[in-house]
Amino acid sequence: MPTSGPPSLHRPTRLVLDNGMRVIIQEHRASDVVALHLWVGVGGRDERPAELGFSHLVEHMLFKGTETRGPGFIDREVEAVGGRTNAGTSLDYTFYYILLPARQALRAIEVMADVAVNSAFDPKELERERQVVFEEVRLGEDNPRSSLFRQLYTHVFPGHPYGRPVLGDEAALKAATRETLRGYYRRHYAPENMVLVVIGAVNPADVSAVVERTFARVPAAGYRRQPLPPPPPLPGVRRHVVSRNEKQAHLALGWSAPPLDHPDVFAVDLLASILGGSRSSRLNQALRERGRLVSSIRAGYGALQGGGLVSVSAQLEPGDLGKVEEAILGEIRRIQTEGVTEVERRRAITAAESEHAFAIETAEGLAYAYGLAETVWRLEEELRYLERLRSVTREQIHEAARRYLPVDRYAVLAFTPPGGAR
Amino acid sequence: MNHPVPGALGLIVAAGLTLIPSAAPASGHLPPVLRHRFPNGLTLLVRENPAAPVVAVSLQVKMGGRWERPEDAGISNLLQHVVVKGTARRSAQAIAEAAEEIGGSVSASGDTDYSELRGTALARHWKALLGLIADVALRPSLPAEEIENERRVILSQVRNRGDLPFPLTFDTLLASLYGPHPYGRPTLGQRQTVERLDRARLLDHYRRHYRAGRIVLAVSGQVSGPAVVKEVERLFADLPAGSEAEAPAPPAPAAASARQVLERPAAQAQILMGYLAPSLAGGDYAAVKVLTTLLGGGMAGRLFVELRDKQGLAYSLGALYPSRAETSFLVIHMGTAPENLTRAEEGLRREVARIREERVTPKEVQRAKAYLLGSLAMDRRTNARQAWYLAFFELAGVGHEFLDRYAAAVEAVTAEDIQRVAGRYLADPTVAVLKPIPK
Repeated sequence: MPTSGPPSLHRPTRLVLDNGMRVIIQEHRASDVVALHLWVGVGGRDERPAELGFSHLVEHMLFKGTETRGPGFIDREVEAVGGRTNAGTSLDYTFYYILLPARQALRAIEVMADVAVNSAFDPKELERERQVVFEEVRLGEDNPRSSLFRQLYTHVFPGHPYGRPVLGDEAALKAATRETLRGYYRRHYAPENMVLVVIGAVNPADVSAVVERTFARVPAAGYRRQPLPPPPPLPGVRRHVVSRNEKQAHLALGWSAPPLDHPDVFAVDLLASILGGSRSSRLNQALRERGRLVSSIRAGYGALQGGGLVSVSAQLEPGDLGKVEEAILGEIRRIQTEGVTEVERRRAITAAESEHAFAIETAEGLAYAYGLAETVWRLEEELRYLERLRSVTREQIHEAARRYLPVDRYAVLAFTPPGGAR
Repeated sequence: MNHPVPGALGLIVAAGLTLIPSAAPASGHLPPVLRHRFPNGLTLLVRENPAAPVVAVSLQVKMGGRWERPEDAGISNLLQHVVVKGTARRSAQAIAEAAEEIGGSVSASGDTDYSELRGTALARHWKALLGLIADVALRPSLPAEEIENERRVILSQVRNRGDLPFPLTFDTLLASLYGPHPYGRPTLGQRQTVERLDRARLLDHYRRHYRAGRIVLAVSGQVSGPAVVKEVERLFADLPAGSEAEAPAPPAPAAASARQVLERPAAQAQILMGYLAPSLAGGDYAAVKVLTTLLGGGMAGRLFVELRDKQGLAYSLGALYPSRAETSFLVIHMGTAPENLTRAEEGLRREVARIREERVTPKEVQRAKAYLLGSLAMDRRTNARQAWYLAFFELAGVGHEFLDRYAAAVEAVTAEDIQRVAGRYLADPTVAVLKPIPK
């Protein structure tokens, strides 16, 4: 097993098993808790039309028992010893975590390995879990903010895999059988497509020993993930108004932005922060504090493996929708003309540094960052992230604003009360 | 600042557990707490935690919904919002910028049993953080235009809450469960009350509550305890001493034990069943925590197993039992498809009947305790949560070391205790249902 360096308290050890699976281990003794993450390179973007929602349904099914562990295994092996577990599915990835007292960690790696390759997909359990997923879809529809972001992606990436709903398509989910779902699982849960992250009060040598007799025994499958086509550029301003029953209006603007591997991600990250990432940001000061036009406003940058999205979202009175959109564009034009100040650049870097320092307070914060980077980016990039951010110049941020936030090519999505659209 | 993480934009779809906002045990790894009481009555708690280069502060004031009259409902929360919007020396923007210069944030809100000013920073800036917290706590200018702005923001939150099915049903339930008692009113306040609050009343509210004897300051992070004591002594010397007399006790809660149905356009039906439950200092607190966990704790809680796993009736469901200084509440809840409403409500009632009538197994009790204490240990690991826990229990009068005693009390809970408290507290539910109607 080649490693990328000696074990250290401040750097992770990265192993690549013979079957292609990657394992990241780091001792973290701030508490006696261990975070165990399994990351799989499968998500909404990998689904064919008849498979829409399969990544997420598979994620649910993995909690329902394996060939040798009955449906109650979470209770017995995790919660009964004081641990907890959960999972998430996104466009680029699916991840699972178990968080538990350190003395239980090695056993939990065995559980995770079993779940990763021997999930049972019991037909009765599938029937019930399908209903649970439909409930989850309804819950999301009732929440304007989660609906807003889900729909924004479909408008910024129309016709592209990133424009598909991660929660899937009702017809595809209804048609899913044990065979089709398990086929999907077998195809994507290959060792080459998985990353195990173990962070906490553990001895790295003990961890690799357990990994050797569990995950390392899974045969290589020769898996290669399908590459993504680049997202097509937005042809102009695409406007979508949805009438909903809330009294408040919600507005989101979205721009197609660089993917993770692009050299501009650091500049765009700082740009989004300066524009709307904090209380003192431009949009917050101009629209919430001075203009009193919105009750909240934020800008953010979501970088995906094959694309990216800069969003501005706000909560406001329905009558102010037009004014607010114009004011957001006004602030963007101002950055495009005048650039940003050194104080703003420094403040955005400090915010990133602080976010990082708070993320490493807990083992799962680190495990999340490492697992995500290894799955959709590179671990090395994660470790150098702050350093790269500090080297971004004001000119680069200014250039990013001109290049990535065209005021004539973006998607707008508004949720308005009935009759409130204008 | 967004690290380039897709999930940060809300695209992650979690398998979704409704966790109990709980309290519980001591982790063996926590460093000791330094407690200092200053002559003016201010209490300071410091936890030196070397784990990460950060610091968190929680300043909690005995002020909140519990002491508010119906005509003032929401005043504490509005005051808190405005306190961080300007001081004798700094504008709102200067406060936000000062916090961001030190890699942190300062914010405030009102709650039921306390109001909080909280701040975080990179540890090397701990003095600047304390200075900023002291400035807003001691010298808020309550600018008229900021009062208007925050009023507008809160009114919009009030409206927004009325748009969200779960919070709307929850607020309806609490009003019906508590009757005249202030715990039945949302801490955000109501439109009519928030619209009327003016600067003179806010200033009076501030002067009556921001007194040293009513305040606990907790600090957790990479700091030196004695150095923090010295700095706090200097910074908070001007805080008015004493605590003023307590307001008269509020009217007792009077649960309606009724069933209310709200009709709204929504994709999911909501069912909430509530019961009055023991206070933090009540003898049954630990047993009811274990009972709540048995019902709604994690994927192995009874509601999850019976209603989600076995019947596929819900995605979100759970049980809530918050820590309250006065009579608290236990709420079990579920969101489900409109056509399942009747089955779901019957399912909830059946689970309550079962736990009242049949003795739970010692194994199930053991599991619930491990889950409860494990969740608490995990929740206590960040400095912000540490600071919050320390100040909260100290202010509530049970002492910052309450959680250590609580862990022992949880360990002592038996299957008989569960049946006894289930019989005593889960008798006549007060129910609120949101029934979807066509949009």
